[in-house]
Amino acid sequence: MINFSFQKPTSITDAVTALSKSEDGLFLAGGQTLIPVLKQRLAMPCDIIDLGDINDLKGIVAKKHSVLIGATTTHSEVEASPVVREHIPALAELAGHIGDPHVRNLGTLGGSLANNDPSADYPAAVLGLGATIHTNQRSISSDEFFVGLFQTALDPGEMIVRVEFPIPEKSGYAKFPNPASRYAIVGVFVSSFSGSVRVSVTGAESCVFRQVSFEEALAEHFAIDALTDFAVPSDRFNSDLHASAEYRAQLVRVMACRAIIMIDEEKKQ
Amino acid sequence: MKALGSIGKSIKRSEDKRFLTGQGKYVDDINLPNQVYAAFLRSPYAHAIINRIDTSGALGSPGVSLVVTGTDWLKENYGPLPCTSRINTFVGGEKMKVPPRHCLAIDRVRFVGEIVAMVVAETKPSALHAVELIEVDYEELEVVTDPEEALKPGAPQIWDDIPNNLCLDFELGDRIKTAAAFDSAHYIISRKIKNNRVAGVPIEPRGAIANYDDDTKRLTLFNSSQNIHENRDAYAIDVLKIEKEKLHHVAPDIGGGFGVKNGTYPEPPLILHAAKKLCRPVKWVADRSESFLSDTQGRGQVSTVSLALTKEGKFLGLRVETVGNLGAYCGTIGPFTPTAGTARTQGGPYGFASIYYYAKVVFTNTAIMAPYRGAGRPEAAFQLERIIEETARELDFDPIELRKKNLIQAKTLPLRTAMGLDIDSGNFVEVFDQALSLTDRTGFSARASAATRRGKLYGFAIAPYLECTGGGSKEFAGITVRDDNKIELSVGSHSTGTGHETSFAQLLSGYLGIGVDSIVFFQGDTDRTPFGGGHGGSRGMEVGGSAVYEAASTFIKKGRLLAAYILGVENSRLQFSNGVFFVSGTDKSVTSEDLIAQSAGSEVINGEFGYGYLNVSATFEREIMSIPNGCHACEVEVDPETGGINIVNYWAVDDFGTIVNGMLTDGQVMGAVAQGIGQALMEESVYADSGQLMTGSLIDYALPRAFDVPNIRIQYYEEAPTKKNPLGVKGAGEAGCVAAPHVVFNAIADALRNFNIESLDMPLTSEKIWRTIHRR
Ligand SMILES: Cc1cc2nc3c(=O)[nH]c(=O)nc-3n(C[C@H](O)[C@H](O)[C@H](O)COP(=O)(O)OP(=O)(O)OC[C@H]3O[C@@H](n4cnc5c(N)ncnc54)[C@H](O)[C@@H]3O)c2cc1C
Repeated sequence: MINFSFQKPTSITDAVTALSKSEDGLFLAGGQTLIPVLKQRLAMPCDIIDLGDINDLKGIVAKKHSVLIGATTTHSEVEASPVVREHIPALAELAGHIGDPHVRNLGTLGGSLANNDPSADYPAAVLGLGATIHTNQRSISSDEFFVGLFQTALDPGEMIVRVEFPIPEKSGYAKFPNPASRYAIVGVFVSSFSGSVRVSVTGAESCVFRQVSFEEALAEHFAIDALTDFAVPSDRFNSDLHASAEYRAQLVRVMACRAIIMIDEEKKQ
Repeated sequence: MKALGSIGKSIKRSEDKRFLTGQGKYVDDINLPNQVYAAFLRSPYAHAIINRIDTSGALGSPGVSLVVTGTDWLKENYGPLPCTSRINTFVGGEKMKVPPRHCLAIDRVRFVGEIVAMVVAETKPSALHAVELIEVDYEELEVVTDPEEALKPGAPQIWDDIPNNLCLDFELGDRIKTAAAFDSAHYIISRKIKNNRVAGVPIEPRGAIANYDDDTKRLTLFNSSQNIHENRDAYAIDVLKIEKEKLHHVAPDIGGGFGVKNGTYPEPPLILHAAKKLCRPVKWVADRSESFLSDTQGRGQVSTVSLALTKEGKFLGLRVETVGNLGAYCGTIGPFTPTAGTARTQGGPYGFASIYYYAKVVFTNTAIMAPYRGAGRPEAAFQLERIIEETARELDFDPIELRKKNLIQAKTLPLRTAMGLDIDSGNFVEVFDQALSLTDRTGFSARASAATRRGKLYGFAIAPYLECTGGGSKEFAGITVRDDNKIELSVGSHSTGTGHETSFAQLLSGYLGIGVDSIVFFQGDTDRTPFGGGHGGSRGMEVGGSAVYEAASTFIKKGRLLAAYILGVENSRLQFSNGVFFVSGTDKSVTSEDLIAQSAGSEVINGEFGYGYLNVSATFEREIMSIPNGCHACEVEVDPETGGINIVNYWAVDDFGTIVNGMLTDGQVMGAVAQGIGQALMEESVYADSGQLMTGSLIDYALPRAFDVPNIRIQYYEEAPTKKNPLGVKGAGEAGCVAAPHVVFNAIADALRNFNIESLDMPLTSEKIWRTIHRR
């Protein structure tokens, strides 16, 4: 790690100003991605602006049709939140299976989205629920937010403030974790809103995406047999040490089915 | 001498409070005044010529006090790190080919992570920064990472004077007799069996601080080592060319070793050199990435295994031909593992009239290989139990019956195996039956049907194992009476978190009849222990515990004379029991504790029994290795849709002879089984063809988590203590690693009984399983 100057502002405006004044600054949230990057000297910012003391970035509130979650809310706060558990239990489940307890106690929603790791869990929920990302400047729909490998629609210096998750009728998330890191080899989020269905896939390609063929089939008939015999094309899929593209294609279908099974089991309870 | 009191009890570990509350003292917790920091430039190439190194940028960087390259190193006239493998002669009589393993690359790099230069600077960041300023002109050479490829004609030559990259070949057993057995056999089953290369990954990375005292001209090395005496000799005598007394080697608390911290490494001599040169303490602690690149790795064998048997399934002969990967250099005892390490226990607990083992030990452009928990015995057990399972499968033998029918019978003991191993005690049939009855075979079909209803495949396997202890055969134990009436017990062997502080004190307390809390334990310091055999080969209790026994015996012998003097009686009339010396039928008695208090000091007795009289130094030397053995079994569930594996049940019956502390032993079994499960299912150190390490961090190198490890049910067979040592213990530290991989593999093979598993190798990742099921 190299030396940098450290600031911990208490308002969004101060943080954004501090960053705009810096030649080469970065926001710091949970540090679960950024600190390892600094330690490996892959980034050498001169200023670090810690978002941890900004109250406007914290908290979870339910509105009539949506749940609003502040950018610096940690994964364990989402996991434990009664509001999230009541309205979007699949989101709480998802948060509860990110990494390990240490990571969940520090890592944040905003940090995860800004980073847009191709194997991260939250992007699947944000895209799979059709959430809206509110920044200090504007509101970005999930369909526009995730642009590519580690790339988002955020402008330089733009800050995620909170994320608005529409409350679905039902939703489920299933991931096949990488045995080493616990990131998703493949994760599939399925949600249903009065007839319209969204299915998002993380881990399989360079960026989270919607599996439109599944969405159409499930809109017709919301059950796992709608997905049997569905061949998922794998030509754009990642092949790496942990899984080939072909295997990932299989997992996309299986994880989609398991997400639906999860919904069914939840209904029974 | 009778074992008393606490011996055999599961007393809690006295070191745990320290460890669990962050009070442990590891190398990184030590900081010396005025210390500087070392950082290393490591080769980014697996094989390249170094044309030129420009260190001027680093030397000019703020805070930098020293930069050392291979050329500088040779000017100091330092020697290479030695290879001390006792297996060192080709079958044809030629000497093993040992290339010089200097602490810095000399003109050529041979694996990714090899040290090219050392920088020493005021702070760690300034050292790391300066490392980046060193410019090296590399000329890339062709790379070979696979040992079988390395043997082929035309393969890249890693050492100009070592043809075919062949370090050594080796044989054990009777080749001709084995060939005859194969000729007479009704069946011969052969398979190519791979043992995956794995990383040890101790939780505490390697690290060291070197200090130089200009007055005494003595060096001190605080080092995360599990073998301080041998390491000291190598660093002092072979590398730095100083007397060994001039190097004080200290290992504080050690956070895991598994073999990784047994051999020598370049970093300690490098920082010793820097400390001397700068007259300042020099510190270095590896980060996890450095550990993955530069720690020794284990296993990594490819073998052709053949089993010859009669029509009825009686084993006649076994033949194993192995190619073992050494990495780019000979590690301290690197060549030992794929040779004698894997040969000795071939045949396991089965009666084989003939066995032949042959190995080639090969250099590749990868990190150095060394013993890893089990060091050859897990490989041997895996080769054997896989070929037996395949035989049962192919010839339609019941795998349980096939094994039972071939086990060595207790009544034939003692015997010497075809590999020359002396088995003095044990009851393999009884241990097998005990394990089998634990597994509730009658309930199996209900469990399997329940799994089938859930869409899962279900499998079972059981297999005995037999291994042997190893490591240093000699150990020191000393007792020193302190002024505060406590006694200090020091043992040359070193705990890597394995609980010596508790179990050795427990032994001494039991023998002397004194409280555990009046014993202060010392280890890991060459000034306090004249010699020691390190920590490896499951020798801790076997050799170290036996040394404690010898020290206790001597203490009691001397104590008896002192007691006789104090009580004014003939010492022949004295008896000793429960910590009390007494004359039967009288009220004349004195306790061990009294004697300790007497000799500690307030009323010092003069003359012959004076101050320090009860201090004792003792040695135990093992003549013949013990034979731990047992039988493990497990049940697995396979998810055919994902290939995911869940180990549902795991049972272990182990014969470790006498059990000194069951809880500590359970910990050894569980930890080793977890490592075995890791090797079977997920662990593998993967090198790309370019020689780049693909599994260089915990993001890519999978280690088992609590979630992956089932509840292990453990039982001990204590009816057959060995007579090879006074405690009757057989060694417990590695057995789980020996037993687990094949049991897990075979249970999965059983679950996949309707599929072709010919190409399956460890680790059995979910994708491999999925491909097997779906024939892809
Ligand atoms: C061992 C380990 C295992 C993990 N496993 C998983 C897993 O299974 N699934 C998973 O999804 N993730 C996993 N993660 C990632 C983790 O979930 C973190 O959420 C993620 O690393 C980023 O969140 P953070 O709050 O730590 O962000 P930081 O590391 O602090 O920041 C990451 C990036 O986002 C930027 N940033 C942060 N907050 C904002 C904001 N409000 N607005 C704009 N930019 C911002 C920062 O400048 C930085 O560039 C794992 C991480 C580790 C270390």
